[in-house]
Amino acid sequence: MILAVLFANSEGNILVERFNGVPAEERLHWRSFLVKLGADNLKGVKNEELLVASHKSVYIVYTVLGDVSVYVVGKDEYDELALAEVIFVITSAVKDVCGKLPTERLFLDKYGRICLTLDEIIWKGYLENTDKDRIRRLVRLKPPTEF
Amino acid sequence: MAQPLVKKDDDRDDEADCSPFLGIEKGAVLQEARVFNDPQLDPRRCSQVITKLLYLLNQGETFTKVEATEVFFAVTKLFQSKDIGLRRMVYVMIKELSPSADEVIIVTSSLMKDMTSKTDMYRANAIRVLCRITDGTLLTQIERYLKQAIVDKNPVVASAALVSGIHLLQTNPEIVKRWSNEVQEAVQSRAALVQFHALALLHQIRQNDRLAVNKLVSSLTKGSVRSPLAQCLLIRYTSQVIRESANNNQAGDRPFYDFLEGCLRHKAEMVIFEAARAITELNGVTSRELTPAITVLQLFLSSSKPVLRFAAVRTLNKVAMTHPMAVTNCNIDMESLISDQNRSIATLAITTLLKTGNESSVDRLMKQITNFMSDIADEFKIVVVEAIRSLCLKFPLKHRSLMNFLSNILREEGGFEYKKAIVDSIVILIRDIPEAKESGLLHLCEFIEDCEFTYLSTQILHFLGIEGPKTSDPSKYIRYIYNRVHLENATVRAGAVSTLAKFGAMVDTLKPRVFVLLRRCLFDNDDEVRDRATLYLNTLGGDGEVVETGEDVKEFLFGSLDIPLVNLENSLKNYEPSEEAFDINSVPKEVKTQPLAEKKAPGKKPTGLGAPPAGPPSTVDAYEKLLSSIPEFANFGKLFKSSAPVELTEAETEYAVNVVKHIFDGHVVFQYNCTNTIPEQLLENVTVIVDASEAEEFAEVASKPLRSLPYDSPGQTFVAFEKPEGVPAIGKFSNMLRFIVKEVDPSTGEAEDDGVEDEYQLEELEVVAADYMLKVGVSNFRNAWETMDADCERADEYGLGPRESLAEAVNAVINLLGMQPCEGTEVVPNNSRSHTCLLSGVYIGNVKVLVRLQFGLDGPKDVAMKLAVRSEDEAVSDAIHEIVASG
Repeated sequence: MILAVLFANSEGNILVERFNGVPAEERLHWRSFLVKLGADNLKGVKNEELLVASHKSVYIVYTVLGDVSVYVVGKDEYDELALAEVIFVITSAVKDVCGKLPTERLFLDKYGRICLTLDEIIWKGYLENTDKDRIRRLVRLKPPTEF
Repeated sequence: MAQPLVKKDDDRDDEADCSPFLGIEKGAVLQEARVFNDPQLDPRRCSQVITKLLYLLNQGETFTKVEATEVFFAVTKLFQSKDIGLRRMVYVMIKELSPSADEVIIVTSSLMKDMTSKTDMYRANAIRVLCRITDGTLLTQIERYLKQAIVDKNPVVASAALVSGIHLLQTNPEIVKRWSNEVQEAVQSRAALVQFHALALLHQIRQNDRLAVNKLVSSLTKGSVRSPLAQCLLIRYTSQVIRESANNNQAGDRPFYDFLEGCLRHKAEMVIFEAARAITELNGVTSRELTPAITVLQLFLSSSKPVLRFAAVRTLNKVAMTHPMAVTNCNIDMESLISDQNRSIATLAITTLLKTGNESSVDRLMKQITNFMSDIADEFKIVVVEAIRSLCLKFPLKHRSLMNFLSNILREEGGFEYKKAIVDSIVILIRDIPEAKESGLLHLCEFIEDCEFTYLSTQILHFLGIEGPKTSDPSKYIRYIYNRVHLENATVRAGAVSTLAKFGAMVDTLKPRVFVLLRRCLFDNDDEVRDRATLYLNTLGGDGEVVETGEDVKEFLFGSLDIPLVNLENSLKNYEPSEEAFDINSVPKEVKTQPLAEKKAPGKKPTGLGAPPAGPPSTVDAYEKLLSSIPEFANFGKLFKSSAPVELTEAETEYAVNVVKHIFDGHVVFQYNCTNTIPEQLLENVTVIVDASEAEEFAEVASKPLRSLPYDSPGQTFVAFEKPEGVPAIGKFSNMLRFIVKEVDPSTGEAEDDGVEDEYQLEELEVVAADYMLKVGVSNFRNAWETMDADCERADEYGLGPRESLAEAVNAVINLLGMQPCEGTEVVPNNSRSHTCLLSGVYIGNVKVLVRLQFGLDGPKDVAMKLAVRSEDEAVSDAIHEIVASG
């Protein structure tokens, strides 16, 4: 299951956090853990270069995309490689929505569309769509082109 | 021309500084949500408000029940709008609000309309929303549509229904299981994602049907799976089938192995890796099978993608635990990962190298690790320390450089857990490698000179007190210990005083000097430190002369308490100050039975220091001590064997009772461990009435009642029987717990004066032949067998009748005899038709016994057995045959 998707700005403030199957009392812990992980490791990292960590039986893949950092947390079948796939879908879809690497402002301007995009990619902890072009169409309620 | 440019930049700065959600407040947004009720809907404005609501929710904000209901009702009004963008937002919003069952009704008709709409995308989204908010009754109404949707031509609709199915399977499995035909069809879909989702759902539906999963895997491994994601799933299901398949023949032709190996050549890295990992995790994987997987993992080690490097090194790290030799080829690539930017990767590489390295590479490796340690976090350092500890135990000759490494990192900055891991490692090395003892102790001494953790200081002082006096020059430790008396807090000072006293007690020549130091402690400003010093000065004897301290004094001062501390604590809490002094002999010695899970948790890792054992030092010694302290049993002679506790009550009954059978040469003592689990009761005069009418050779000779059994404080009562000397008499005993029960006032904890006599039926108990056999292994069975006199061998054949399996028959005979299986022969390989099992033990009367069991399958299920026994006494060999013949 994909346990969490989290976006933060460069100061570590949360822009989006979506948890699946994580009890409410553990969310704060996860949030601060991830933000700290980013603060410790993301400095100087190139855009979309993936970093990886594991905490107990849970895997975390994270990266930088413009001004925002993106974290994906998973367990069981969503191990580091599956999460790399998930984060790739997320970053390419977000870039697609923003038209370029997002600044914080641009990200917030496109907030509604980004929420819809995430809704198409992950549904309650499962990966649903993987192709950014298809996602762009689905967000606009248009059928996929290959259909 | 410059002007507008500057202006533009200014604008951009403003823009960047000011978030569209700056100063957003929940109350205000909820107010804004009233626009949803406008008769003339403004889709753009409504979308903006929904975005704000989503922003709040995504920040971790929560809505109260009333707020959520209000927003939900307002949002449902938006179905009137035909604006597509807004409709998409409405779907998300409803999912986020997850309305309660009584509210769902408002929106179901709109959603059901969308679900049957001609617009595909309405259908897909309506399915997702409905499945998110639906309950069982609604689901049966829409089931028909969902089944159609699974095989819908539009892949988005099909995927929506399939993923919904995966979620619904958790809540309504019986409904989703009815869709398996449609899901089966979807597995064959041309759309890659549909196939992926369908495969996941189909496997979940059939996961308990081994045959069906086998069939699914067989058909798909032959055909083509389109998406790499689905291929990964298939690899996982395949390895599950291999694991569960009993047809692993020894020839090495593992079913589906070719499929896994083929996947190593797939174009997607994800698939290659999944296959490589599946191969490394195969049960009993051979090096021939491992080689291709290790080769691809080795390539991944030098990948430019950190995720692949991490995945590869993580897998190789696991392989190194079981097949270190298979991984050695990757050592050069692994060494270059020590400097990897990603510290998780570097740590995994180091710990893998520590597992696979050979003795000659240790020094080089340590040099590399030293540079690496300074820039990783404590949690990684602990992993490295533990790996170094194992390495040192593997190559004891390298203890000098490894111990030096540990002492160096001990001096550097670090948190408690990290320091504790290092100290624990040093202690374990001191215990296991005698040559490392003196240098290890000195490292610990230096550490406590500047240790900020009271716990570690006291533990090290305690350990020094045990090991220091046994070294060649104990006097060199005194300075370090006495320094603590000057420079530390009261807890450490008290610990140091005890350690000094230990040196005084154990090393007679040091005693005068230790006395001088202890006298100085009499003026300490802490009473515990003064009390300890006074106690030791008055008990060690000789007034500081060079004389030996008596064994009884040593035992009194430094011997183990012999009582579980928890029990002592409970008894002290229950003790009321009165004329009668607290009697330490009244403290129960039985360790309270814990649930199994709790019992297993501690002691998983070997801990170095840690508190002295809470329970009795070893069960046999403890039982022996306990029984010899009871006058009635004192003349029974040497205890031959004590059984494991046998439960006589079911779990969670009012009174929990188990029994330990103590076997003497001419007696048997039953020790009933009783626990009263009712807080409102106090039991007194607790006895067990034993009916031995089905145990003819036994005659009751003594019974020792338990005076009082308060709530949750275990106690014991004993019953002893006489039996013919040296004879392995067997029999069945029925047991009845008898006691006087007194009500306890829960508020005051006081018991009433009057009690009522009551009884409680316990389960029966048997004394069996295995009770007269001690499990004692031999290191080389063949040698032991050859050296035993062949004249005392007795061999015979037995038919064991139809049995579930050969393994079950082997286990039954091992349990019947109660002997120790040797050389791992208790494990029966799958599908074997014959098996030899070697057992060893000591029979009552201290007679060594060896048994060779040869099993063979006779027909489909019938098991035949040849039993050969050699022992020091032919009568015992005969007795073993009798046990088997009558069992």
